[in-house]
Amino acid sequence: MSSDPGVHESRHPTLKQYVGIAIFLFVVTIVEFVIILPMEFRGAGWTIAPLAILSAIKFAAVIFFYMHLKFDNRLLTWVFLGGLALGFAVVLALVGLFTAWTPSARSFADDHAKPCTLDHELGGCLEDRVTAPPPVEPVTDPPETGSEPTPAEAPAAPAGGLVATGQQIFLTGQGEGAATACFTCHTIDGVPGATGLLGPDLTHIGTEAATRQPGVSAEDYLRQSITDPEGFVAEGVERAVPGLMLPALTAGLTDGDVDALVAFLLEQK
Amino acid sequence: MAHHTEISHHAPEEEHPTTTGINNRKLLMWVFLSSDCLFFGSLIATYMVYRGQSLVGPYPVDIIDVPITTISTFVLLCSSFAMVRALAATNEDRQGAIIFWLLTTAVLGAIFIGFQVYEFNLFKTEGLRIDTNLFGTTFFTLTGFHGAHVTLGIVWLLGLAWVAKRGRLGPKTALDVELAGLYWHFVDIVWIVIFTLLYLIGGFDTGPAGDPSLVPHSITGFLGLI
Repeated sequence: MSSDPGVHESRHPTLKQYVGIAIFLFVVTIVEFVIILPMEFRGAGWTIAPLAILSAIKFAAVIFFYMHLKFDNRLLTWVFLGGLALGFAVVLALVGLFTAWTPSARSFADDHAKPCTLDHELGGCLEDRVTAPPPVEPVTDPPETGSEPTPAEAPAAPAGGLVATGQQIFLTGQGEGAATACFTCHTIDGVPGATGLLGPDLTHIGTEAATRQPGVSAEDYLRQSITDPEGFVAEGVERAVPGLMLPALTAGLTDGDVDALVAFLLEQK
Repeated sequence: MAHHTEISHHAPEEEHPTTTGINNRKLLMWVFLSSDCLFFGSLIATYMVYRGQSLVGPYPVDIIDVPITTISTFVLLCSSFAMVRALAATNEDRQGAIIFWLLTTAVLGAIFIGFQVYEFNLFKTEGLRIDTNLFGTTFFTLTGFHGAHVTLGIVWLLGLAWVAKRGRLGPKTALDVELAGLYWHFVDIVWIVIFTLLYLIGGFDTGPAGDPSLVPHSITGFLGLI
């Protein structure tokens, strides 16, 4: 290693070469990005080879020019490539060992994975926000439960079936249509799995609904709260995170689904 | 004799002949980088072994944002260019340029770290923590150790800039800058590998059983902005 500037000139790339390498690295990165730009290419198996080769080219450009291995003592190249090869061997060995003994590791995951309903607003899986997976047990309420402090329009004859359907929708989001399962955010004591903490507690919503909005019946209030959640929010309702319940979460429900949900919620006293 | 010792104490002993013909500090740095390949190799292997085996979400496709990370990758590439300019300035003894390029490199590195902090925070809000699933564990361990390397490099560069400000860097002490540069470029190439593997290739991994609702919304959102 000489400090003579003249020797340095010959040992290091020129500014022009450095700029050239920088542009080259930029272009290669853009090419990599373009490869995975079309939706159908993303994660496709064939993209692995070109992406790996392009990144290896970038890797080589940096070590040979920016780190000037090309201009330096050969021994350094071998020292580094030796470690690199060992690192590569470690990767191959570990991956080989694990995949050899569990040839279908992925199928294990397929069998044991929990369902995931993607939460586009918050991210993550909605199912993860509850402590226990919801066992769907149809309620066997008697069709007529007696005194209801709700106005005349309360669900009449097939209330039992409707209530059970409502609970089903509450716990799975699947009715005639589909929506985000309510339980992920709402708790109802006594309903297994309904332990969400993000939205208001609905344990007594059947009675509370009647008094929430003056002049609006419990049923109408619930119906409005489901179809237009943020349209009217009663004072004193505790919400862990206000503004979370977007209309999109319930947009997939059919009118029949909403009827069933309302019937189910009116039963929560 | 005493006089000689005094001088060699101030000027790095770069001219001493060695059995390898290579300055010992430089050889040490390359051996260290070589061993660091094994370090990152192990972490990368762990990521690959557990890839696609998470039992709960979020999965990569849910949260990995390739466009944002492409930008931070560019930033890191730029910093490598600034680094070679810093070394060139040192060899040419252009004092102002040495400080300028060293600080530029450090700032670009800091911007990269800023992107990573943003990303980690976003992942946390979206439900991915280091203990959420195998993806979270391997992802945060690998990228976290890389981020730690970058952070250490920034501290190193700032230290050098401080030395440069006192006029102590020049052709005679160029090795000080060169060694920092080797480390910095190494961190850059490690990122080249991580970016390709965790983002371009693994960033679209879905959860088990290929939930059809899993659309890479981060990218669609980005394209929607254009």
